[in-house]
Amino acid sequence: MSDLVVSCEGITRVYADDAVPVHALRGVDFEVRRGEWTSLAGPSGSGKSTLLHVIGGLDRPTNGEVNVDGQRLGGLSESQLSDLRLNKIGFVFQAYNLIPVLTAVENVEFIMQLQGVGAAERQTRARATLTRLGLDDIGDRRPGELSGGQQQRVAVARAVVTEPVLLLADEPSANLDSSTTQDLLELLRNVNEQHGVTIVTATHDPMVMDYAQRRVRLRDGAIEHDESSSGA
Amino acid sequence: MNPMLLFQLSWRNLWRRRRRNGLLLAAISFAVAGVVVLNSFIRGMQVQMTQTAVNNMNGHVKVLAPGYLDDPGIARSFDLAKDWRPDVLEGIEAEMVAGWASRVRVPAVVMSERETRGVQLVGIDPAAEAISFIGDMAVEGERLSGSEDGRLLVGRALAEQLETAAGRRIVLITQGADGRNREAGYRIAGLYDAEGEGLEKAFLFTGIANVQNLLDASVITELSVRLTEDRHGPNVLSRMIDALTGLDVLTWQDLEPTAAAMHEFVDVAIAMWFLIVMGALAFGLINTLVTAVMERTRELGMLRAVGMRPRAVVVQVVVESMLIMVLGIVIGLALGMLLYLPMASGIDMSAFAAATEEFGFSALMVPKLEAGDIWLVVSLAIVIGLLASVYPAWRSVKITPLEAMRR
Ligand SMILES: Nc1ncnc2c1ncn2[C@@H]1O[C@H](COP(=O)(O)OP(=O)(O)OP(=O)(O)O)[C@@H](O)[C@H]1O
Ligand SMILES: [Mg+2]
Repeated sequence: MSDLVVSCEGITRVYADDAVPVHALRGVDFEVRRGEWTSLAGPSGSGKSTLLHVIGGLDRPTNGEVNVDGQRLGGLSESQLSDLRLNKIGFVFQAYNLIPVLTAVENVEFIMQLQGVGAAERQTRARATLTRLGLDDIGDRRPGELSGGQQQRVAVARAVVTEPVLLLADEPSANLDSSTTQDLLELLRNVNEQHGVTIVTATHDPMVMDYAQRRVRLRDGAIEHDESSSGA
Repeated sequence: MNPMLLFQLSWRNLWRRRRRNGLLLAAISFAVAGVVVLNSFIRGMQVQMTQTAVNNMNGHVKVLAPGYLDDPGIARSFDLAKDWRPDVLEGIEAEMVAGWASRVRVPAVVMSERETRGVQLVGIDPAAEAISFIGDMAVEGERLSGSEDGRLLVGRALAEQLETAAGRRIVLITQGADGRNREAGYRIAGLYDAEGEGLEKAFLFTGIANVQNLLDASVITELSVRLTEDRHGPNVLSRMIDALTGLDVLTWQDLEPTAAAMHEFVDVAIAMWFLIVMGALAFGLINTLVTAVMERTRELGMLRAVGMRPRAVVVQVVVESMLIMVLGIVIGLALGMLLYLPMASGIDMSAFAAATEEFGFSALMVPKLEAGDIWLVVSLAIVIGLLASVYPAWRSVKITPLEAMRR
């Protein structure tokens, strides 16, 4: 198995729906090694979210090749992409990560349910993950009864419970204050270091960037700077 | 994907908008209950009309000599073996037949001391007439004792016109098979009440042997067969047509075409009425579902993003639609039953009796709830629930994960 979880070559993404085409990505070559935590940085509109979506199989590039865990996304149908997201990728979005009508533990179980994991195993794993992440006291609450920080941490629990190859998080801390951000980042560090989950975050938040081992700065749809913290 | 999961999600989603879904549920329930109850009345009326037509000396199947309908009289008569019975025919089982009656029915003129009227003189075997209204009509005075009884049963309305009463004598004139008039005086055994004055003025009853003696002819002019269930009609009809060659074998529908047309119209009317009410509900359902899909755009997009297949999203919308519909049907049927059961034994309509008797209905309105009609409303509601979810489901698959994430 390759050591590269993500490898992109010559990615462009042009939004042509409007009169003036928008070049969100202009030829990005990007690789992520297994076990690495990479943070995408850059000004608003620089293409961070677009790149994350392309890697996650949520959006298709106009040109270029994306490989995730050795699988070329270009050749996959919509439902094959669905399955790839389901089985290989965990997502944490800025907000609305959870299903409002399900409790925290049911939300964590949800993806396993989509995968067809049996009820007993599902429950054990969901409870274990919540406990591991220090969330077992809120397992039976619904998202509406949780704070923003708690919701994001449950979202991380849901994203990692299936042991995905890759965890993608777009502005995970955007709605959080600095102390809850800290909690969330500790959580992500835990899953990254203890469980070897590869993470790519996209953020403006310097705290998030500090936690990542590698910072990739985008500007106008191209990579401007790529830097790894030494020794991390 | 896991059907239990879809069901659970849909079920909980319903509870998210309690008021909105509650109102829709109430609308569906009331509509179903209303349809069921009103329909039972229409059905009851239809059954009553059929009964009246069958009771009206037609039976389900009636045998006449050819030409009798155009020119009724003893000249158009026939004869059957004394021990003839419909269930000796091949293909007709005893349990299909409720009874049968032979009659001699001829036009006659009746005279009292004061008045003269044209009537139909009907010779009957009273014991066989349980199959017609004659069997259970109210009689003031005495009933006929048997086929040999030489007295008359006169309708109350006719008796009033003739200014006569039970125990008095009246004179009848009618034409024999030879074309010559026969005249005889008879004593009135009793006065009968029938549903509708038309019957009371039209028919005079006496023992069948009495008429045969008067006319010097041991023949009959009609035979009515009553069945235990309407559905045996077509089979019995064709068997009797095969067996009784040279005679006219007719159904009550042939003899009472207006009632038959009404009967068929009721079937169509019920289906139309279901369709209109349930169709109107479909728009409420579509509206609710589309609103539910639109307000959940982010959530549905998120579900797609984490790997739920488009198909599963569609199924979820359909399941939600069906849940509302099925709940509405169940509550509606229960409500309908609650309304129907106290009325099931009949409602006294005698306040409107004058109007109803005019049309040959009885004063007791008995609603009838048929399993077939319940199935019709249930299946129609399910089909409409499915159809109503098509557009909302189509809207739901158009939601891409990206669209949801960008808001
Ligand atoms: N669906 C779309 N249609 C048109 N233009 C789009 C669409 N999605 C993104 N863009 C444009 O593509 C460019 C890159 O957007 P993107 O969301 O990737 O930036 P970003 O770096 O994530 O910004 P932010 O930090 O504000 O989240 C922007 O100019 C944006 O306006
Ligand atoms: Mg962004």
